[in-house]
Amino acid sequence: MDKSEILEKLRHILVSVLKHEKFEMRDDLSATDVDGWDSLTHMIIITEIEKMFNCRFKLKELNKLGNMGTLIELIQSKL
Amino acid sequence: MTFTSFEFALFLPIVFLLYWLVFNKNSNTQNILLLLSSIVFYCMADWKFVSLLAASGFVNFYLAKLIAKKEEGKIRKFIFYSGIVFNIAILFYFKYFNFFVQSFVTLLNYSGVNINFTPFHILLPLGISFFTFQMIGYLIDVNNEEIKPTNDLLSFFTYLAYFPKILSGPIERVQRFLPQIQKKREFDYDIAVDGLRQILWGLFKKMIIADRLTPIVNNIFNNYQTLNGSTLLLGAIFYIISLYADFSGYSDMACGVSKLFNIRITNNFAFPFFSTNISDFWKKWHISLTSWLMDYVFTPLSFILRGYKKIGLAISILITFLIVGLWHGANLTFIVFGFLHGLYFVPIIIKGSMNKNKFIAAGKLIPSASESLGVLGLFLLVSITSIFGRSENIGQALGYLSEIVSPSLFTVPTLTNMQNVLTTMIFIGICILIEWGGREQDHAIAIIGIKWKRTLRSVFYFAIVLAIFWFGGNEQQFIYFQF
Repeated sequence: MDKSEILEKLRHILVSVLKHEKFEMRDDLSATDVDGWDSLTHMIIITEIEKMFNCRFKLKELNKLGNMGTLIELIQSKL
Repeated sequence: MTFTSFEFALFLPIVFLLYWLVFNKNSNTQNILLLLSSIVFYCMADWKFVSLLAASGFVNFYLAKLIAKKEEGKIRKFIFYSGIVFNIAILFYFKYFNFFVQSFVTLLNYSGVNINFTPFHILLPLGISFFTFQMIGYLIDVNNEEIKPTNDLLSFFTYLAYFPKILSGPIERVQRFLPQIQKKREFDYDIAVDGLRQILWGLFKKMIIADRLTPIVNNIFNNYQTLNGSTLLLGAIFYIISLYADFSGYSDMACGVSKLFNIRITNNFAFPFFSTNISDFWKKWHISLTSWLMDYVFTPLSFILRGYKKIGLAISILITFLIVGLWHGANLTFIVFGFLHGLYFVPIIIKGSMNKNKFIAAGKLIPSASESLGVLGLFLLVSITSIFGRSENIGQALGYLSEIVSPSLFTVPTLTNMQNVLTTMIFIGICILIEWGGREQDHAIAIIGIKWKRTLRSVFYFAIVLAIFWFGGNEQQFIYFQF
């Protein structure tokens, strides 16, 4: 799966969980830049990503995520 | 020695001058002075437990290094969990031992086994909840490879014992603090002056509002059985305001004092009463504790329970807030207090309105009618819940609450010394106005008067100083020292 396909799927998940599209998908996008992506919604987003890409994350891996770019790299490493 | 004591008024300028004029050769000399002064400060507050602080520091310093040296595996896990158990055991023994044994004995007595238990005479070391949580966070971060353990024992102990934060926090993270003290700090006039402003505002909140309100609140809670509902509601409102003024006042002073040494520490409060929902409130109240619990309790729990989606989130938040309650003290009242706050999150999680970050009156002078109602509603909810935090036991809290919800709520409050109460309320009004004006800043008076003429600005600061001397209440112990 190429990066643009992953990005599009991630955008779809964020829109469905956060119920808005006020963000731009780019590598340096972080949770703090996105309205509503907080500690409460984070795990729902993660669960949706796991379901969408049929993979399982470790907490340690999630703790190291800094932005969208590192999230995409992590997903690619699982596919 | 506390921030509002005469001893501290002598101690701080001496350390300040020594720091910038004598020990200013390099970061090590600066840290030596900070560590020595921190030890003196802690000893003057509570000399009996300085050895406990030192033991905690040494054990965690070397355990973290040991964890990092070992490859992932059983031995590393064993060392890591030993460290966590060590820290929790210290906290448990000093803070919770009597409570849990007493609760266990009570349970046994209910089931027919009669046992007598005389609580042990255990003194609570000052700041134990704060420094223990810092050490637990340090070990977890090292174990998760988010940070490397430091080899710099002097910096590590300076971090642990740093006097602006040792007694009541913030629960500072190693990764934020150490980089600041591992390089030589240069004197920055603007930061130092801003620190003085923040200290002044902290003194205003602590010495005028908290110290004046505390005796009024004590009087109401001690005589709750003889007072009407409206007085008791006022007592609950006064209590939450005094708690805020006390702890945020301390926090402002801690940040301000630290700025004098050009070291930034986390501001624990970001005007929490200007919130319209409980999630927003906890993002602004005791920030370092909330973010610590979010990172080290809520996130792992919600990760484990993520398959259960919103139910998993609700369970995780309830457990997290039970710990918030227990952190405040070994009493069922605090557990109920925490549980209720956790419960208030559940509708937000279910509705999904947690997604909406609300900044009230952003860019405006006054909030809208709906925002004002939201702020008022949340304030009342938090005030009423705080009755559990303030009461001696559940019976008192329930008795207090039942009188509030009685018809006597609609009678005139019966307060003694009305003039004192009214004067205090005027200062609360002034405080709210000033905090509202500075709500988007680092602290309330960060920019107020910055563009005024120097004379006018000096008059403003001088008025605050005079108000503290004229209207300051009798010195009361900082409420959060007991935690």
